Amino acid sequence: MKQADVVVVGGGPAGCAAALAAAGAGARVVLVDEQPDLGGHLRWRVAPTHGLEPDLDGQPGVRVAAALAERVAAAGVEVARGSVAWGFFEDNVVGVVEGETAYTLRAASVIVATGSTDRVLPFPGWTLPGVMTARAAQLFLHVHRVLPGRRVVVVGDGPDADEVANAFAVAGAEVVARVPGVAGLQAGGDREVEEVEVDGQSYAADTVVLTLGRLPDPELALQARVETVFDAAVGAHVPRRDEHLATSQPGVYVVGEAAGAVSVAEAMAEGRLAGLAAAGAPEADIAAAREALQGLRTATSGNRALPVVNADVPMCLCRCEEVTLAAVRQAIAEGATTLDDVKRRTRAGMGICQGIFCLPAVAALLRDEAGVPAEEIVPMTARPPARAIPLSALTMLEE
Amino acid sequence: MPADEGAVESVSGDLRVRQHPVLGDLPPTTEVTIYVDDRPIPARAGEPIAAALLAAGIRVCRTMPNRGRPRGPFCGVGRCTDCLMTVDGEPSVRTCVTPVRDGQRIVTQRGLGSWEEGTA
Ligand SMILES: Cc1cc2nc3c(=O)[nH]c(=O)nc-3n(C[C@H](O)[C@H](O)[C@H](O)COP(=O)(O)OP(=O)(O)OC[C@H]3O[C@@H](n4cnc5c(N)ncnc54)[C@H](O)[C@@H]3O)c2cc1C
Ligand code: FES
Repeated sequence: MKQADVVVVGGGPAGCAAALAAAGAGARVVLVDEQPDLGGHLRWRVAPTHGLEPDLDGQPGVRVAAALAERVAAAGVEVARGSVAWGFFEDNVVGVVEGETAYTLRAASVIVATGSTDRVLPFPGWTLPGVMTARAAQLFLHVHRVLPGRRVVVVGDGPDADEVANAFAVAGAEVVARVPGVAGLQAGGDREVEEVEVDGQSYAADTVVLTLGRLPDPELALQARVETVFDAAVGAHVPRRDEHLATSQPGVYVVGEAAGAVSVAEAMAEGRLAGLAAAGAPEADIAAAREALQGLRTATSGNRALPVVNADVPMCLCRCEEVTLAAVRQAIAEGATTLDDVKRRTRAGMGICQGIFCLPAVAALLRDEAGVPAEEIVPMTARPPARAIPLSALTMLEE
Repeated sequence: MPADEGAVESVSGDLRVRQHPVLGDLPPTTEVTIYVDDRPIPARAGEPIAAALLAAGIRVCRTMPNRGRPRGPFCGVGRCTDCLMTVDGEPSVRTCVTPVRDGQRIVTQRGLGSWEEGTA
């Protein structure tokens, strides 16, 4: 077992800021990220990033990501790239897997900065190859430099959808239609997307990109059994936090989009505050960081309240377990009133994705068809592993 | 799915983003060859398998256990199971987070796949 003063999980802007602040305050910091490089979202965004300090402000995300990675290295933070933090265990022990290697980390403080997942919603044909998340699309375009298709339908509205549509156009694809949401949307094709229908109008298209907002992904903190509260602006439950962004579990902090923060500037200010608090920095520094954060608490959420699930059409709702919309409806009609109930009855949410791609739709159905208020729909019980991991990681925990 | 339906090139032409106003020109790199259902496909060293497949216009990675419906890259970050393929004989490898290797043998996966599929 490796020891540190502070373990930061997630190397996006929030996690990098947390690691920098904690290291600056003299703590021994380990920063764990599953991606091959630091920067989180910023790694695959080319649009300018606003609200940052003068030397980074207005730079494309990719450049801010590179600058943050350099600073983290210079600050003496131990960085574990390509490393998944898959489990949270008693006494702030975090299980990590890097390829075939598994180890555990223990620290007085664990800062969870794991960001978000792309919110997706089902529509007929949404399992066809060619339908993908905004994150996948931008990764392929900007990191791997591949056009996932030539004729693209962008689903979603607001600045994120504009950014995605623009990214495709700039990279040489044609955006054949923009659609605000999944209502009235249908993708057709034999083996993959060949056409897309929107309110009865048909387009020849090979790609559908879902830009429907993001949902906080604090799974590691949920494994630590932190208390959550419903955040109406985010449309989801998020960890309850005190003025230092600490959760109900001693030494466990959650920052950035994992807790619902939306802008990069806000995510970084949160990271800095938690990093200082976790490292036991002087009270004056912590107070200043708190004040800086208050000044940024203006951005409205890019996520929206729970949507309505597409009409009465046969379709797959849980992609991993191939559970249909009809099966989930039936479970609700038969008395299921919680996400865990629906999961037990249908297997929806039982797959590798841990429900991140079906539970928003299940939650919308519980609200609309069982009359459960959104704030009473609590997250599913979170258990390790947070990702598919080799068995060797589990056996080594027992040693 | 019959074997001759594997690895169909469905989006054609050059799909690499060679120039980009913010990212600049596509940096030169070592090219490797991977074999997808026995068909040689060029790939950029270090990129994930799924990226090389998309660049070759291949978008179906697997078919599902229950009704045989096709799936392809969906989340791009290792969170769904839609990009699973059999790689060098190992079934259910997430191709969006697994790098290419010269000479790698990749098979469109049927259902849960099997250890034999790729080694045959
Ligand atoms: C399309 C789009 C447009 C946006 N536009 C804007 C904008 O114009 N302005 C703006 O201010 N903000 C914008 N944002 C939001 C901004 O990108 C986020 O607020 C910010 O990146 C959140 O930072 P974060 O550090 O909390 O999360 P992320 O950047 O998502 O970083 C999370 C990191 O955690 C890692 N991770 C997650 N789980 C694990 C695990 N279990 N083990 C190891 N590592 C893990 C991930 O690999 C990732 O690197 C946009 C986002 C998107 C997607
Ligand atoms: S595309 Fe989702 S795991 Fe690879």
